[in-house]
Amino acid sequence: MIKKLSKLVKSFTLSELRTGLKITAKELVNKKITVQFPEERTPISPRFRGLHALRRYPNGEERCIACKLCEAVCPANAITIESEMRDDGTRRTTMYDIDLFKCIFCGFCEEACPVDAIVETQIFDYAFESRQGSIMTKKRLLEVGSENTQVINQTKFEDAKYK
Amino acid sequence: MIEIEINGNVVKAKAGEMLIQVTDREGISVPRFCYHKKLSVVASCRMCLVDVEGAPKPQPACSTPVNEGMKVHTQNDKAKASQKAVMEFLLINHPLDCPICDQGGECELQDVAVEYGSDISRFSESKRIVPDGDIGALIQADMTRCIHCTRCVRFGLEIAGMMEMGGTGRGEHLKIEPFLKEGIQSELSGNMIDVCPVGALTSKPFRYELRSWQMHSMPNIARHDLVGSNLFVQTYKGKVKRVVSADNDLINETWISDRDRFSYEGLTHKNRLLEPQIKVQGQWQQVSWKVALDYAVKGLNSHVLKHQKVNQLGGLASSTATMEEFYLLKKILTEVGCDNIDHRLNVKNLDNVITLDSNIKLGALEKIDYALIVGANIRLEQPMINHRLRKATKKGADIDELNVMAFDFNHPLDTKNITAPNKIAPTLAGVLKSIMISNTQELPDYLLAVEVGEVANNIAAKLLNSRSSVIILGEHIINNEDASTIANLITQIAQNTNSKTLNLSITANTMSANWVGFVPQNSGMNVNTMLASDMRGFILLDIYPQYDFHDLETAVKAFTKDDTFVISLNSFKDDIVAGYSNVILPIASVYETSGTQLNINNDMQSYTAAVKAPDEVKPAWKVLKVMADLLALPSFHYADSAQVLAEIFHQPQTKHTHDENVNLTSKHHGISIIWQNSPYSIDAVLRHSNALQKTKIGQMNSAYMNQASAETLGLSADDKYLGVPVVITNTVADDCVFINANQAVNTQGQT
Repeated sequence: MIKKLSKLVKSFTLSELRTGLKITAKELVNKKITVQFPEERTPISPRFRGLHALRRYPNGEERCIACKLCEAVCPANAITIESEMRDDGTRRTTMYDIDLFKCIFCGFCEEACPVDAIVETQIFDYAFESRQGSIMTKKRLLEVGSENTQVINQTKFEDAKYK
Repeated sequence: MIEIEINGNVVKAKAGEMLIQVTDREGISVPRFCYHKKLSVVASCRMCLVDVEGAPKPQPACSTPVNEGMKVHTQNDKAKASQKAVMEFLLINHPLDCPICDQGGECELQDVAVEYGSDISRFSESKRIVPDGDIGALIQADMTRCIHCTRCVRFGLEIAGMMEMGGTGRGEHLKIEPFLKEGIQSELSGNMIDVCPVGALTSKPFRYELRSWQMHSMPNIARHDLVGSNLFVQTYKGKVKRVVSADNDLINETWISDRDRFSYEGLTHKNRLLEPQIKVQGQWQQVSWKVALDYAVKGLNSHVLKHQKVNQLGGLASSTATMEEFYLLKKILTEVGCDNIDHRLNVKNLDNVITLDSNIKLGALEKIDYALIVGANIRLEQPMINHRLRKATKKGADIDELNVMAFDFNHPLDTKNITAPNKIAPTLAGVLKSIMISNTQELPDYLLAVEVGEVANNIAAKLLNSRSSVIILGEHIINNEDASTIANLITQIAQNTNSKTLNLSITANTMSANWVGFVPQNSGMNVNTMLASDMRGFILLDIYPQYDFHDLETAVKAFTKDDTFVISLNSFKDDIVAGYSNVILPIASVYETSGTQLNINNDMQSYTAAVKAPDEVKPAWKVLKVMADLLALPSFHYADSAQVLAEIFHQPQTKHTHDENVNLTSKHHGISIIWQNSPYSIDAVLRHSNALQKTKIGQMNSAYMNQASAETLGLSADDKYLGVPVVITNTVADDCVFINANQAVNTQGQT
């Protein structure tokens, strides 16, 4: 009986409408949270797993040593590596392909890498312009790596203490 | 049989057996590094420590004999703690370079470390680093990774018979390395890669290519010698990437020769023949299979079949073909009515051929107490058979040789009888005479005039005194003027002394060729007669004349005649083949075709293709089948090579009858030449495998002769004889030039 009565009062005094409008009114004067992507971007966690990159050492030497652990651990079989002995006797890849259509961005490759060569960057806004585009070749991966060296180093440094 | 208790379970064991043999048989895992089932026990790694009740300290399972009522714990706290402690010590110096180590993924140390290793190292001092030298073309050494198990050292000492690897230095400075700067040269060296539990010794041609988990492993059979070693062909994306041995105690135990292990490299050589070709007006054209086969069949019809000249057609095959290929080629030829079939390309005089049975099993070879080797450099020519002989010598067997040159054996020889080629038959006749006199048998006429020398008496006495002996006849006798006499003498000696015989004068798959009767049928011509007569057509299966024929010029002349139509089935490009052929059909090489190998013990081993042949290349049995269909021959309805084999089984087996005449009257003088393709040049795949060619055995290219022969021939040490560099050495018998060549010849076999 009392429940029915209070419901009746609420509906006649437009109490719920007022509650809603109160929020609207508040947000009307509050600072906007909409981000004008791509001009503006939200902050991203250092652990974000986006587009892959292959890193180099500060002296320019590529880090990857073709151990193929990433290829072995990849649950989606997205990575294909071919290796050989480079002229200086070191073990290097001749091919390092990641098929982004297959990749599920689990980050296992990064976890498995003993030399921190393959990493996932914070880049997530990319598009392919051809059918071959989904294949990240060694050349493209290294390019992504060198273009974003600073960001990668920074995020890896930030995350390092949790590993 | 006794009973012991392992981890609370009662198991049966043989008294005196080592504990680890029992646990291995029962499937109980005990970690180990230095123990290997085919090598001696040194108990140096201490990884297999187990807890034996009653013993104050943990005992190494590999060197603890079992006793009745023994109680063993392999997994209790005491055992585990000692295993972990050993593991920690082993990991002190082992580098953490698994990511760049080729052994990664198939490493015994890695596997054991997962279970027994600690995740944190307590060792903060500096690790040992060992500088590496180049130890040869086949094995890559990375001795920083070595854990001093000494399996490779024991392998060299006990199996290969050359202690090439050894430990130098003591304690922290102990290094396992080859003693000689030339590195590892054994013909079985590749097995060190298999026995090495870590990545210290890995395969050089395979270096950094693939991980073990990426490859498919297919069982297959080695085709380069008379043993038919069992092996695994490991493939990746349709290419053979590595070959490793498979266990088969009856055939190759657990070892394979380097020849079998590294020949796969030839398959991807740039010289592979990849497309069918036809020669039109002197110009080669690459065409489709259909065009090529039509052209071949049309050529056969127009040159041979249409004019009723079937007797002017010939079929020749090299000894590397499979049993099915021999059979199909023979069947095609016999069905068109042609009897001219042969595979004995390197025999000069086919009226004087070796016919000798092999009647001893490989396993029984280990148990002989006397062996006589006649005309064979058995260590290099048949490494796996030599290995069995070596095992016999370790049990005390005496081995004598009757060779034209003193070869390097890896086991002791009782007497080295270096005999001129024309003295071998008289010496063996002397042996037979001596035996018959001892047995008080009546001498046949031909032995009456034979002189019995000291050598012959010696051999005869040893044969008579031995419980089980074997006489081995090798390849160097094939072109001996007394070849058939020698074989017949050996047969008789064996009969009179209850010896066994082993015919190693053949090689590869010749046993199969004999099984299907790939020899002239009825009144057909043999290869030499064919080459000398007016032929109109040839079908040649995997033949490279400069290596396969004893007389290149005659062969090429016969093939190049204007109106002779030659169909060549080859796996590799070859200028000489291209020079005389009208059609060249690319056929699959080893591991690319299914087939059957018959080994010296008559073990018939069939294998399937491990990889598909590249490009347009087809297995030869298919090519022959389709050719037969195009020739409109009936009864060639095979869906696979197994059906061909099934049909072979239903054929009456060809019985070889041969005369047993002994003719000791032949008097030949002058210098005999024994031409042997060097061990890594005996077939086309081997000749194209780079790593093998870089080894010392692959580089063998010398014409050995003694000073007297050199003077007779007017040669000095800087000269070449038949294109091969001369080596003057007094280890060669008189009147003999022994040539081991890895090159093609122009005037092979001519004096």
